[in-house]
Amino acid sequence: MVPATICHLLTPMNAVEINHLKKSYPNVAALKGVDVAIPQGEFFGLLGPNGAGKTTLISSIVGLVKPNSGEIRVMGFELRKNPREAKQQIGLSPQEINIHNYTPIRKILEFQGGFYGLSKKESLKRGEELLKHFSLWEKRNVGRYQLSGGMQRRLMIARALMGKPKILILDEPTAGIDVELRHELWSFLKELNRNGTTILLTTHYIEEAELLCDRVAIINHGRIVAQGPPKELIAKHQLKKESRRDGPFQFVRPGSLEEVFIKLTGHTIEEEAKEETAEETRA
Amino acid sequence: MKPLIPFFTLVRQEVYRFWRLIKQTIFPPIVTTLLYILIFGFSLGSRIQEIHGFPYILFIIPGLAAMGVINGSFSNACSSLYMAKFDRSLENLLATPLRPVEMVLAYIFSGLMRGVLIGTLILIVALSFFKIPPQHFFVLLYFFIFQSVIFSCWGIIAGMRAKTWDSLATIENFIITPLVYLGGVFYSIDLLPQPWRMVSMFNPLFYIMDGTRYGILGVHDAPLLYSFSFTAIVALILFGVCVYLFQIGYRMVR
Ligand SMILES: Nc1ncnc2c1ncn2[C@@H]1O[C@H](COP(=O)(O)OP(=O)(O)O)[C@@H](O)[C@H]1O
Ligand SMILES: [Mg+2]
Repeated sequence: MVPATICHLLTPMNAVEINHLKKSYPNVAALKGVDVAIPQGEFFGLLGPNGAGKTTLISSIVGLVKPNSGEIRVMGFELRKNPREAKQQIGLSPQEINIHNYTPIRKILEFQGGFYGLSKKESLKRGEELLKHFSLWEKRNVGRYQLSGGMQRRLMIARALMGKPKILILDEPTAGIDVELRHELWSFLKELNRNGTTILLTTHYIEEAELLCDRVAIINHGRIVAQGPPKELIAKHQLKKESRRDGPFQFVRPGSLEEVFIKLTGHTIEEEAKEETAEETRA
Repeated sequence: MKPLIPFFTLVRQEVYRFWRLIKQTIFPPIVTTLLYILIFGFSLGSRIQEIHGFPYILFIIPGLAAMGVINGSFSNACSSLYMAKFDRSLENLLATPLRPVEMVLAYIFSGLMRGVLIGTLILIVALSFFKIPPQHFFVLLYFFIFQSVIFSCWGIIAGMRAKTWDSLATIENFIITPLVYLGGVFYSIDLLPQPWRMVSMFNPLFYIMDGTRYGILGVHDAPLLYSFSFTAIVALILFGVCVYLFQIGYRMVR
């Protein structure tokens, strides 16, 4: 058998590879067989309405959700077999704030670096750089409670970068952030991606994905309903010139990704419902 | 990368947590011990007979020290885990490369530091009044360490299970404290009538107290081999349970 580290060097591989992933919670099937492959260096967007399964998918990649079946590989490391190596590659900024309550934020970053193997000195230095970069240096000695919502978001992104991740995963990083900060964050992420970091971002702001992502996947009711570069998806799925633009399409710019999104998620609800009853009768 | 850095970082984080709250975590048990010495040593104590040839206050000091170790270790692990679950920082920890066994060991290690620090301070304060050193230093260390491991592990399990702060207080007040008191902090079970003496033999805390007392005063009620092996076996079993629970992500992984 060839050790995983050697396979690494021999084959070009995907940063993240997800095969046939299924996850059911007690009262809902959140993922119904998801396949996603994200090549190294890609800026990848996962789009979907609330409850589509985005957070469940992302949490599975870092081991916070245990899938019922399927396989997850991170830089070639199978998550179940080599969790440490797989997680070492990832920095995660989750959807829900999860910052230690009373620890000064400078300490939080220092500890985070340590969890990923940085020495104390190195970690302090990197923490200082990131705090300064995210305009949090003035607040370095206070706890999470003394930060605004936007500051807490930025802190979580800074924290996700402490371990020098090859893959940065952001779950709705711009939710509740004002326009100016959002644009700053976008340019920061673009720059990071240019320098080689693979980025996986979930959002329900579609224009965000259209602007940033090389490729997007649209997820709805636990299934990927479309996947590809935004331009291709638009070309393939946009409404015909002559079709009526009422209901959900009333305020949508024709030929935008948003149009495709609504077509693929909003309009499939009925079909989805039919499909589900079919599944139930089969079972 | 040095492979032990993540583990020691978590130890540092946990020690930092209790050290910052030193007024709540370290000082109270020391003050309590001083009160015991005042009450039982100088006012009431003279009216109570010697036990195993020791003045009453000296007889209860090992139990007080053990109680400090036990409470310190338990509440360190359980409050830290409970809080981390509450503010969700536990999810951040679980997403890092730390292995389950490293997380458990780090929680135990910090509980050990807090517990043994408290126990040692209590002994230093108490024994400085009477000017006697511990009789069997390494035996004392052995029992301090293993009882701290036992109660850190229990604290980890309780912290993982707890849905409310109340349930943790309930364990401390209605399970641990009675077991500790009835385990012979304040009396020798030789003095108990049957069937209470028999019942006491089934209290695991009895062996822990008895061993600790042997380490400090050189006297014991139970066969030493029992106390030694029992304490270590319980510690190992609970450690195994904790690692298993972390591995399956008990009440932490969805
Ligand atoms: N811990 C949980 N227990 C039960 N159901 C859950 C849990 N987390 C999410 N769900 C359900 O799973 C589905 C997918 O949720 P989620 O992954 O959070 O979607 P998204 O992030 O796209 O909004 C939803 O129907 C949600 O209600
Ligand atoms: Mg979500």
